[in-house]
Amino acid sequence: MNKNILRVITIIAAIFFVLWLGGLGWAMADYYGGKPNPITASKAPEKAKENGKELRVVAIGDSLTRGTGDESGKGYVGDVIDELKTKTKKPVKLLNLGVNGQRSDQLRTQLGQKEVQRQIQRANIVLMTIGGNDLFRGGQGLADYQSDKLQIIEKSYLQNLTAILKQIRTSNPDARVFFVGLYNPFMNLNEGKNISKVIRRINYESAEVSASFPKVVFVPTFDLFELKVNDYLYSDKFHPNTKGHRLIAERVASLITW
Amino acid sequence: MEKTTLSVRNLKKTIGKKEIIKGISFDLKEGEVFGFLGPNGAGKTTTIRMLVGLIKPTSGSVEIGGYNIENHFFEAMKNLGCIVENPELYPYLSGWDNLLHFVRMLDDVGEERITEVTQLVGLTDRIHDKVKTYSLGMRQRLGIAQALLGRPKVLILDEPTNGLDPAGIREMRQFIRFLAESEGLSVLVSSHLLSEIQLLCDRVAIISKGKVIRTDTVEHLLSNREQLIWSFEPFEKGKEILSSLTKTEDSGDGFIRTEYESEKAALWNKQLVDAGVKVTEMNRKLPALEDLFLELTGGDKID
Amino acid sequence: MIKLVQNEMMKLIAKKRLLVIAAIIAVLVALFTYAQYKQVETQRHKLGTNDWRTILQQQIIDTQNRLSSSRISDDWKKQLKVGLQQQQYYLDHNINPSEPGAPTFMRMFLENSIDLFLPLMVMVIASDLVSSEHSLGSIKLLLTRPVRRWKVLLSKYITLCLSISLIVAITGIISYLISGMVFGYKGWGAPVLTGFNVTNQGLGTESVKLLDQWQFLLMDFGLVWFVAIVVGTLSFMLSVLIRSTAAGMGVMLAALISGAILSNMVSSWNSAKYLFMVNLRLTDYMKGTAPPIEGMTLSFSLAVLLVWWAAALAVAFWVFTKRDVY
Repeated sequence: MNKNILRVITIIAAIFFVLWLGGLGWAMADYYGGKPNPITASKAPEKAKENGKELRVVAIGDSLTRGTGDESGKGYVGDVIDELKTKTKKPVKLLNLGVNGQRSDQLRTQLGQKEVQRQIQRANIVLMTIGGNDLFRGGQGLADYQSDKLQIIEKSYLQNLTAILKQIRTSNPDARVFFVGLYNPFMNLNEGKNISKVIRRINYESAEVSASFPKVVFVPTFDLFELKVNDYLYSDKFHPNTKGHRLIAERVASLITW
Repeated sequence: MEKTTLSVRNLKKTIGKKEIIKGISFDLKEGEVFGFLGPNGAGKTTTIRMLVGLIKPTSGSVEIGGYNIENHFFEAMKNLGCIVENPELYPYLSGWDNLLHFVRMLDDVGEERITEVTQLVGLTDRIHDKVKTYSLGMRQRLGIAQALLGRPKVLILDEPTNGLDPAGIREMRQFIRFLAESEGLSVLVSSHLLSEIQLLCDRVAIISKGKVIRTDTVEHLLSNREQLIWSFEPFEKGKEILSSLTKTEDSGDGFIRTEYESEKAALWNKQLVDAGVKVTEMNRKLPALEDLFLELTGGDKID
Repeated sequence: MIKLVQNEMMKLIAKKRLLVIAAIIAVLVALFTYAQYKQVETQRHKLGTNDWRTILQQQIIDTQNRLSSSRISDDWKKQLKVGLQQQQYYLDHNINPSEPGAPTFMRMFLENSIDLFLPLMVMVIASDLVSSEHSLGSIKLLLTRPVRRWKVLLSKYITLCLSISLIVAITGIISYLISGMVFGYKGWGAPVLTGFNVTNQGLGTESVKLLDQWQFLLMDFGLVWFVAIVVGTLSFMLSVLIRSTAAGMGVMLAALISGAILSNMVSSWNSAKYLFMVNLRLTDYMKGTAPPIEGMTLSFSLAVLLVWWAAALAVAFWVFTKRDVY
C-alpha cells in the first residue's frame, strides 16, 4: 500500500479531528457564553411589486375559509378559485390564511403581522369569513343569547371587524374585499328562531360596517341555508358540507369582477 | 553449559472451578528443539497461550530470556516469536504490509529486516501479493517470518505442520532444525503427532490432562518401545520358534509382535528361515502415541 | 504510538470500509436531495410561488390548523407550538429559515442524521475494530508483541476517532457537492437564528442570536462529531466485550433504533432521559426545538453522553487489558 496515501489520509483525518473539536468547543462557548445580539439585519420586506400578470387572492378567516366540511378539502375558497380560473386567462394565485376556530380578535392579531399585511397588500381580491366562532363558540351553540354576555360579544366583534377592515384598507386600498356573512346552522333546533334573530342582527351590523369601507362587499349566506339547512350541513351539524360550500362559492364568484 | 532461554515453573490455570493446567514445569535450552506432546485437549494450547502472555496464569511463573512475563512483559516479549495455532495474518494486506505491521510494533527493527526474513523463508517472489492469494504453506512460512522479525531467542510454534502436505511438512521440519542449529534459537514445538516430534525434537515433554507426565530426550522415551510385527507360514510353527527366542504376543489376527532390537531381528529371522518357516512380513512399528500414553499413564485413557 | 496508529489506519484503509461508507452516504444524500427538490417543486406548484415568505406563511397557517385539532397529543402540541413560534419569529424578522442552497441542505442533512444515520455509519467501523481481530485470530499475533495491551487498544481508539472525524467530514463534503448540483453552492453567509429558549410556556426569544450559516454549520458539525464519538466509543466497547462483530452491531443497532423511537414517546417516563440514545439530538438545542423529555438541556445531554462515553472507555480498556485470549 502506498505509504504517502496513508499518511495524507491520516493527516487529513487529524485536521478534521481538530476542526470538529473546535466546532464543538465553539458551540458550547456560544451556547453558554455568547451574548444575544439584537437582530438588526431585519430589513423590511420589500414592497410588493405591482404586476398585472396574475390574479392574487388572499383568503382570511375561520374554518369556513379553511374548507372544513367540504369532503374535497377545497372549501368555498377553492371553488371560487376554480370558478375564477374559467373566467380569466391570467394565472390565479391563492393564499389561504384561514385558521380553524379563529375568532375576530385572533384575526385582528393575525392581520397585525408584517407578512400577512404584505400578502394583503399584494392581493387583488380578499375573501373573508369571520364571526362564527365569536358567536357559536366552535359549534356548541349560541352563547346565552338573551343575556348581556351576548351584547358584550357582539360589541367586541364589531370593534374587531372595524379594525380588521381598516387594516386591510390601510395595507391595500384597491383590493376588492368579499366578506361572507353568517348563516344559521341551528335553524331546525328548538331555539332556531331566536338564534336566527341574533344572526340576522349581526349580519345587518356587519353589512353596515362593511359599507363604511370602500370596495368591501358583504355577501349574505343566511338565505342560502334558510329553507333546507340540513341538506347543506356537514355531519357535525355546524359547518357546511360540500354542497353548502359550493352554494356559498357560487354566490361569491358571481359577485367578483375586476 | 547451555543457557536456559525459557523457564516454566509450576504453571497452573483454573477456569471457573476446573483446574485445567495442574502445574507444569520445564526448561528450554539454547539451540534445542523442544517437543510438547499430547493429545488434543491435554492442555497444550492453553499452556502455550500462557507462555506467550495471552492467558494469565492462575499461579506459577514464565521467564523468557530471564525476564518474567508478568513483571517484565515488554522485555520478555522482545525475546519471543510465536505462532499460536494457525498464523492468522491479515488476508487483505500484502505479505510485506503484514510484516511491516509487525515491524512497527517492535522498537529496534527496521524495514531491512523484512527483506531478510522474507529471504530466509523463501517468499521473496510473492511478498507483495495479498495474503489471501497465498497457499497454506506460504501462510505458514509468512507466519514464521513474522515470528522471526524481532530476532527472538525463543520461538514457539503451535502445531506448525498442521494442514501442510507431506512436502511442506518436510520443508518445515528442515527449516525448524536449521533455525535451531544455525541460528541458535530455542524452539518449542507442540504437536499431537509422535512421528513429527520424533523426527524434529531433541527433547520432549509429554502432557496429559494438564500435567507433564514425563520430560526426556526422544531416544530415551522411545527406546525399547519399538515393536516388530511378524507374519509367517506356517503360523503355529513360527510362533513356537519365536516364543522360544523372545517374548511374543499374538495379536489374534495372524500377526505376532515382538520387541524390536536391531541386532537380534536379523538373527531371529535367520532362525525362522532355517527352520523352514517362510517369513512373509516383518514390520518395524513405531510405538503409537496411544500406546505410549497407556503405558505412561498406567491405563488412563486419553480424553 | 504513532506507528501503531499507522498500522490501524493501514488495516482500516485496506479494508475499504471508508469507501463503502462514503458510497452509502452518497446514495443517501442523492435520495434526500431528490426528495427535497421534489418537495420544493410540489410546494411551488401548490402555492404557485417561489416566495419563501408566502410558503412560510402557509406553513404557519397549516400548523395553526393542526394545533386547533383536538386529536393531537399535548406533547406533540407543545412541540408544534414551539416550531410555530420559531417560524413566526423568522418571518417577523424577515429571515429565511431555509435559504436555498447546498449549505442549508447540509445543515438539514446533519440535523436529521445525527441520531441514527451517522451513528450507524460510525458503528460500521467501530464495532469491527476489535472484534474482527478476534474473529480473524490475528489478536493472538497482536498481543504477543512487546507492546502493552492498553497501547494496542489506545491505537485502535485513536484510529476510531480519526475515522469518525473523516466520516463526518465526508458526510459534509458529499452532501455539499451533491446537493449543490441541484440547489446551488451558495448560502454560506445566510443568516441563521440560534439561542431560542424552550420553556414550559413556549419559546423564549430574549437571547436569540443571529449567526452566519457557516458559523452555525461548524457548531453543528462539532455536535454531530461529539455524538458520533460517543456512539463510536460505545460500539467500540461492545466490540471489545463481544467477540462477534455481528452481535455487537446488533446490540448497538437495537439501542439506536430504540432511542429514535423512545424520544417520540418517553415524555412521561422521566428517568429515560439518562439513557444515551434519547440524548443524541444535540443540534436540536441549537435550533431551538422542544426536547423529548422535560428538563433536558444541552448541558444535561452533554453530561449524560460524557458519562456514558467515559464509562464505555473505562470498561473497554479494563476488559481488554485483563482478559484471557482464547
